[in-house]
Amino acid sequence: MKDSFLQRLIPPALILCAVLGTWEALVRGLDMPPWLLPAPSDIAARFLKATNLLYHTGLTVLEALAGFAASAVIGITLSALIVHSRFLERGVFPYIIVSNAIPIIAIIPLLTIWFGFGIAPKIMIAAIITFFPIVTNTTRGLKSADRRILDFMRSINATRREVFFKVQLPTAVPYIFAGFKIAASLSLVGAVVAEFYGSDRGLGYLVITSATQLRTDLLFVSIIVLAALGVSLFALFGYLERVSLRGEAAIEVNR
Amino acid sequence: MTPCVRLQEVSVTFRTPDQTVQALASVSLDVGEGEFLALLGPTGCGKSTLLRVVSDLEHPGSGVVEVRGQPAAAARGANEFGFVFQEPALLPWRRAVDNVMLPLEVVKYPVGERRARCERLLDRVGLSKFMNRYPHELSGGMKQRVALVRALAWNPSILLMDEPFSALDELTKAELQDELLRIWSQERKTILFVTHNLSEAVYLADRVAVMSAHPGRIVDTIPVELPRNREPGVRETLEFVQQVKRVREALAP
Repeated sequence: MKDSFLQRLIPPALILCAVLGTWEALVRGLDMPPWLLPAPSDIAARFLKATNLLYHTGLTVLEALAGFAASAVIGITLSALIVHSRFLERGVFPYIIVSNAIPIIAIIPLLTIWFGFGIAPKIMIAAIITFFPIVTNTTRGLKSADRRILDFMRSINATRREVFFKVQLPTAVPYIFAGFKIAASLSLVGAVVAEFYGSDRGLGYLVITSATQLRTDLLFVSIIVLAALGVSLFALFGYLERVSLRGEAAIEVNR
Repeated sequence: MTPCVRLQEVSVTFRTPDQTVQALASVSLDVGEGEFLALLGPTGCGKSTLLRVVSDLEHPGSGVVEVRGQPAAAARGANEFGFVFQEPALLPWRRAVDNVMLPLEVVKYPVGERRARCERLLDRVGLSKFMNRYPHELSGGMKQRVALVRALAWNPSILLMDEPFSALDELTKAELQDELLRIWSQERKTILFVTHNLSEAVYLADRVAVMSAHPGRIVDTIPVELPRNREPGVRETLEFVQQVKRVREALAP
């Protein structure tokens, strides 16, 4: 029999309690200064007292999802063009690979010069960082359509449009979600890193300021919120991927 | 009378950077209207290429391919070809009935009649209870039945079958063979049936075109001298065994 959700939750919950208990005991026993390592209870208290936490979180999520959405629209469109044109595939793919090799941190100052300290450069960074996994996975999905079905469609004079919408795009859906799953966590990374550089709000700003002011408890709160966001997004797209597979085998993804 | 399908001196060569493969070497073949022709031969003898050439999916390097006196492209334009492959190649996100619907959407079959047509066809192959199942919920034989009626959906006049039953177990294979014969006797479609199974070729076909590989060519065409309305028991008759023997001799002279 399969274990219930609750039963599977018990082992990790017990481990978490053990770790937190030891941590609390060590901090209290060794009388650790809170700027070096705050106790879990201090972090929890800070979390409950934190004003504006929701505001900073909301802003970062907004930047991440806006960048992610822009990247999804542009990336899927570009993939569709790539599979329809040998010229575009050869012409564009090298640059997609180069763009993935550029350290994203190096671009942030440039975008700040061009677009200022608002949310625009943050959205762009989130878009750029998610572009590669979305384009590579979508392209691979569009190309993985069954060769025989493509022959069948050709033998009955299906148009390119019909082949794309009836065969290639539905084939690619699980691949697209697999790409989204990776892109979702990356979009958060992009938004937060962009906020490190010249910004006065967002979780990235919170991380930097709490670190420079040695408010280590607040730093922990920020990190935990970020982790929770990342896990939620990953789980959401993982779920959508599984639903879209309908009993087919799971696919490997390009990171 | 013009044959349904005519190939004259058809050659196809595939070039890859490091080698050239002659898939078909001046193949000539006439297939009559309503004839059931089996193409028999070892792997790599160009059987599948021949089907692709007939249906205008592949263009021959030299030679002429005609369907009812017209170029193959004209027959493809008129949606005359129904393809069945070794694997069912169904769309996994469509239910059985919607898989059969796919070609009807493409050939612009009258919208109001599509569903009834698909249901009637699936009913004919005993799948009326499984119409709303997804492919992964069907057995191998059921999936291949769906693939078969998908190729019949818009009522094309020529069926191109590329080892359609070779991935099935013996019992299911025999069932589907009889199913196909029943459909063929009712509708008299012209069938080009690729197989590497001697007994299957003799059981199903009017004529067996025996092919050899490297390069792919037709070495002999053998008429099957058995009465039509064949039933499974015919396989145990002496005449059947002698037919199989003749084909085997042509295959390995």
